[in-house]
Amino acid sequence: MPSNNTASSSAAGSSDSSTTRRNSKRPKYSKFTQQELPACKPILTPGWVILTFLVISVIFIPLGVVSLFASQDVVEIVDRYDNDCIPPPSRADKVAFIQGAANKTCTRTIVVPKKMKQPIYVYYELENFYQNHRRYVKSRSDAQLRSVRDENQIEGCKPEDDVNGQPIVPCGLIAWSLFNDTYALSKNNQPLNVSKRGIAWKSDREHKFGKNVFPKNFQMGNITGGGRLIPNVPLSEQEDLIVWMRTAALPTFRKLYGKIETDLQENDTIHVVLENNYNTYSFDGKKKLVLSTTSWLGGKNDFLGIAYLTVGGICFFLALAFTIMYLVKPRRLGDPTYLSWNRVPGGGR
Amino acid sequence: MKRFVYINDDEASKELCCDNRISNTKYNLWNFFPKNLLEQFSRFMNQYFLLIACLQLWSLITPVNPASTWGPLIFIFAVSASKEAWDDYHRYLSDKKANEREVWIVKHGIKKHIQAQDIQVGNIVWLRENDEVPCDLVLLGTSDPQGVCYVETAALDGETDLKTRVIPSACVGIDLELLHKMKGVIECPIPDKDIRRFDANMRLFPPFIDNDVCSLTIKNTLLQSCYLRNTEWACGVSVYTGNQTKLGMCRGVAEPKLTAMDAMIDKLTGAIFVFQIVVVLVLGVAGNVWKDTEARKQWYVQYPEEAPWYELLVIPLRFELLCSIMIPISIKVSLDLVKGLYAKFIEWDVEMVDQETGTASYAANTAISEDLGQVEYILTDKTGTLTDNKMIFRRCCIGGIFYGNENGDALKDTQLLDAITSGSTDVIRFLTVMAICNTVIPVRSKAGEIIYKAQSQDEDALVAAAAKLHMVFVGKNANRLELMFNGVMIRYEVLEILEFTSDRKRMSVVVRDCQNGKIILLSKGADESILPSACAGQQTRTIAEAVEHYAQLGLRTLCLAWRELEEDEYLEWSVKFKEASSVLVDREWRIAEVCQRLEHDLYILGVTAIEDRLQDGVPETIETLRKAGINFWMLTGDKQNTAIQIALSCNFISPEPKGQLLLIDGKSEEDVSRSLERVLLTMRTTTSEPKDVAFVVDGWALEIALKHHRKDFVELAILSRTAICCRVTPSQKAQLVEILKSCDYRTLAIGDGGNDVRMIQQADIGVGISGREGLQAARAADYSIGRFRFLKRLILVHGRYSYNRTAFLSQYSFYKSLLICFIQIFFSFISGVSGTSLFNSVSLMAYNVFYTSVPVLVSVIDKDLSETTVMQHPQILFYCQAGRLLNPSTFAGWFGRSLFHAIVVFVITIHAYAYEKSEMEELGMVALSGCIWLQAFVVAQETNSFTVLQHLSIWGNLVGFYVINFLFSAIPSSGMYTIMFRLCSQPSYWITMFLIVGAGMGPIFALKYYRYTYRPSKINILQQAERMGGPILTLGNIETQPRTIIEKDVSPISIMSTQPKNRSPVYEPLLSESPNAIRRSFGPGTPFEFFQSQSRLSSSSGYTRNCKDN
Repeated sequence: MPSNNTASSSAAGSSDSSTTRRNSKRPKYSKFTQQELPACKPILTPGWVILTFLVISVIFIPLGVVSLFASQDVVEIVDRYDNDCIPPPSRADKVAFIQGAANKTCTRTIVVPKKMKQPIYVYYELENFYQNHRRYVKSRSDAQLRSVRDENQIEGCKPEDDVNGQPIVPCGLIAWSLFNDTYALSKNNQPLNVSKRGIAWKSDREHKFGKNVFPKNFQMGNITGGGRLIPNVPLSEQEDLIVWMRTAALPTFRKLYGKIETDLQENDTIHVVLENNYNTYSFDGKKKLVLSTTSWLGGKNDFLGIAYLTVGGICFFLALAFTIMYLVKPRRLGDPTYLSWNRVPGGGR
Repeated sequence: MKRFVYINDDEASKELCCDNRISNTKYNLWNFFPKNLLEQFSRFMNQYFLLIACLQLWSLITPVNPASTWGPLIFIFAVSASKEAWDDYHRYLSDKKANEREVWIVKHGIKKHIQAQDIQVGNIVWLRENDEVPCDLVLLGTSDPQGVCYVETAALDGETDLKTRVIPSACVGIDLELLHKMKGVIECPIPDKDIRRFDANMRLFPPFIDNDVCSLTIKNTLLQSCYLRNTEWACGVSVYTGNQTKLGMCRGVAEPKLTAMDAMIDKLTGAIFVFQIVVVLVLGVAGNVWKDTEARKQWYVQYPEEAPWYELLVIPLRFELLCSIMIPISIKVSLDLVKGLYAKFIEWDVEMVDQETGTASYAANTAISEDLGQVEYILTDKTGTLTDNKMIFRRCCIGGIFYGNENGDALKDTQLLDAITSGSTDVIRFLTVMAICNTVIPVRSKAGEIIYKAQSQDEDALVAAAAKLHMVFVGKNANRLELMFNGVMIRYEVLEILEFTSDRKRMSVVVRDCQNGKIILLSKGADESILPSACAGQQTRTIAEAVEHYAQLGLRTLCLAWRELEEDEYLEWSVKFKEASSVLVDREWRIAEVCQRLEHDLYILGVTAIEDRLQDGVPETIETLRKAGINFWMLTGDKQNTAIQIALSCNFISPEPKGQLLLIDGKSEEDVSRSLERVLLTMRTTTSEPKDVAFVVDGWALEIALKHHRKDFVELAILSRTAICCRVTPSQKAQLVEILKSCDYRTLAIGDGGNDVRMIQQADIGVGISGREGLQAARAADYSIGRFRFLKRLILVHGRYSYNRTAFLSQYSFYKSLLICFIQIFFSFISGVSGTSLFNSVSLMAYNVFYTSVPVLVSVIDKDLSETTVMQHPQILFYCQAGRLLNPSTFAGWFGRSLFHAIVVFVITIHAYAYEKSEMEELGMVALSGCIWLQAFVVAQETNSFTVLQHLSIWGNLVGFYVINFLFSAIPSSGMYTIMFRLCSQPSYWITMFLIVGAGMGPIFALKYYRYTYRPSKINILQQAERMGGPILTLGNIETQPRTIIEKDVSPISIMSTQPKNRSPVYEPLLSESPNAIRRSFGPGTPFEFFQSQSRLSSSSGYTRNCKDN
């Protein structure tokens, strides 16, 4: 806001003082105040630009290849079971089946295509499940999870905040909709141990979920959502819940179910006995069981490799194109004849 | 409405209550907050932010913590408010100083010393010499027996000459003692702001003369802020006090100026706002549809069946909040900050310090620096702005002998000094005329030096020169003049003064030599008015040649003449003169006629030559700025010939045959309209020719033209690149500014005197020259500079850089806000159009306030071209003038860039962090880091010159981003706990970042290179030329060529020396003249006179062609 105290406002004041003040404010020389700091002024000469693009492509293409290899090294088995685990007679009304009391046990058989080195991660994958929905993602109380003292902090948890005035621990839609399919794996008819320890982030176990916070009034409301919790185990040890409460940002996501700490050989047959409890049928969500190894880049994901190759390729192409352009149509940089006012005298505008 | 002021009567004046407290402050302690808040919220942007902040308080719809908006909002408001408070505090301090000044007043018959603020209406105030008048007074008595006193009114109207004020007739002859006990009543109008009128009556109570009501005029007043000069004491009764004084009423609140750039930014903001509304509506509808079709099936979301009435509004409002970031809250802070810095750069610039006085440039208005770069019209005052307004006596020719030709300074010419010591009659007479043929008042300062107060600078120069030549004008006491010549006191008695008028072009005094009682007529004036009256025997050829010679050198010449009068002749004439002076009709003409009868048979003593120096570098400055495409108009109160002469000498107009002057004149409506049409016709036909066409108009014709032919005149204003308007009043100057502004031109008005204040305030940018005419203009102006030539630097360097920097900064601010906003919008499509924010509150707040504002702030020291290059190629300013760097199409480029970058960041993030990695906090941070990386590279790419600061801020900011996030990641209670540590330990995170930078910057870099090399803008070409060290100097030979300055012995003025026939005897007291005189000087046939003098100036046809049309 300009302070426009004009002639008149200071007229009654003293002109003399303002003059002397101004004189005393005579500026001192410094490179900053004179805007004369030494500066590097790069310009885009063809040489530099072409070189830059070449360098980028030279870095990106090998990186792409490496990423692609890393991704290819990962062995991943994906088994979609949501449809198959509904007995054929019930497939007409899957929602009724899943909400009904019928036996939901289901057996799947998976063949290992390639040798898998331990640790092998067992994930469940949900598709079309909006953990990032605004109503959903905010429906939790971190304070309550952390400390038993704050168990009444349930403001954000509506509509799963209390039962008859008693706070639900853990409250909110996220906890309430806990995924509750279970998998029991066996390799070549030998039970395969799926370790459930350490599947959640260490920081979550230690700092976000209290050691003295126990489930209370959980799934006691009028509607039952997803899974139940073991009543006498503190939340910090209920790792399935901790994993589930790390909400996914995308509607398709995988969450860690457990780890297999033995290698799997090629053509090993794995039988999975699963309890198909979780309702994804009302919104056509897919459920998949995923067994996967990891590389230094994470799981199987070709995207980075392909993207790197594409960008590297484009850069190489650009470098080539600019070189050709430079050779075919050289142009002198800073040729003053391009300045129109040098051509037309006096034609500034 | 009337006001009755009872002199010296505390009781009776009580009801007028108002004390003399001056208050310029905007706020006081109590109303500061409400008033300041109200003011701030009158701006659209602030209302918008407040609305957003309030909406965020509704937790159902807010995607983020309300603090993310409230924090910055409160910060911004606090900054603005404290700045206002600071300014107001300073105003308060200066008021306080004025209010607590001590003055003498009379209370209950006793003189008392009180503070100025305690003066009541009706008090008698005593002033001593050089005191400032504390409030509006009606004069009651002075130290002068005749009741006269002198005041300087510079602070009021900018006129530096002393004005006389007289006591009312009723008070004449009142004893000093009685003044204390004086009682009476003044009937005066209620306070108004007319400083030229005061229509009141006074009646004194017994024992004073009580017979009559005595009328009062402005002549009987002492107005606030004037200074009492040359008078020992004066006293008066206060009639208006405090803020009700004439000055106080004049005090207008100057409207805050808005730059063209601000207007453009506002427009773009408006466009973004509309875009935002559209997005919100589309997403709102989509969200509601999705909710009803899909979300109902999603049991885990538990949408209630029964919804409150506002349910439909919730999703659109959520998106409104999510998109509110589109209009960056930081832009206002950033712009305020950088604008402040631009202003500081102007003040710090050592190249814009007036070496003579040591005055630095000063930017009173810190908000309009960008406008300097967009100036299209400069309206300039002449005297004191283009010229130094410092007349210096240089040469003279006495009795055919030239003095001062050798060294260019007659004062040091030994020949002349010898002639003085030897007592040559002619020389002594010459000096006498120089010393006393004038209206100068000598004032003795405390140190004993004599200071001359003159109405015209010419007279001042002559008297001062005479004093240096031992003819010292020592004192003026009523009609007694005292001269000190070589230590001998010579006394003269002034009998008559035959005043100067512009059609007489001369002035004379009749004095009686007190030594021998002889009556002498002393005359001085322009050669064409003096020479014809020479006495029969005298050869005037040498005189005419001298005049010719001096005029060629660009000096202002005056002829001095002398005649002894017979007693009878004088007495006879004196009667006629008195008679003529008292006629009511056509008085001026009658007086002129009578004067004519006395001014004949003059003995011509010689010629004086005075230099009215142009300020240094004026022609170069004008030429450079012309090249930059800026049009110049000269608005002056001076007369036509002088104006044209100065215009020629400072490159304002070109001499024939390149230039052409068109005259608009006439005293009646038809005349003016005819000449206006003719000029317009010529203008239209010559616009295609590369010719400098200028029109000349005087104040009288201008008034008619504006009244009756405004449309034509506006068209003329658009067509004409140059104009000279002479004899214009301050309000006409302002009117002309208004006309140009109404044609959507950016105007800059530059002036130095009080008469330029209105024009300066009216123009988009007002520049004041802190020159000799006081600081009036400088105070009213947005910028004050010491010399005219600094204008070049102010516009080409500071204005241009400011424009470029703001253009980048503002568009960049929108770019980064749009970038993050687009990502949010894209994310909403994969989060069930429910309005989830991908980023957490802390990040959102810090993104605008910290992460992205620091690097861009350093663009205030970015320079696209070096100062020298710009000075050599001023044409480059065109980019700023035409707004090439900030307009809807450049903005569209930035918009597209942010859309592209948002796509790159979003697509790469959600694919690289898919499946098991798609954790909300992590994904948000990956996307945010992507934005930060990209913006760092965008800033780097758009930076033209990298200084240490740039590197520090761009890369330091990137490091800072990680440091800040590491800190947040270390706090267990924050949502981001450990996130950043986890990410930074993953190779995939870094790989993703590189990919984002490569994919985001590659195409943009390639495009920039292509444009830069194959479709370069002029700026690019100059950049290339500058940095390749190429031969740019060979082409733009603008300043390398030294100006052809005269022959060796001549002072800087005339470039016209090439035209041998040019001359211009200019003699003109400033600030005199009535409109009548102007009219008369352009009687029938005067256009010819004008063209005759012009055709002397230029041999070929240009000017005369018009003349024939006449």
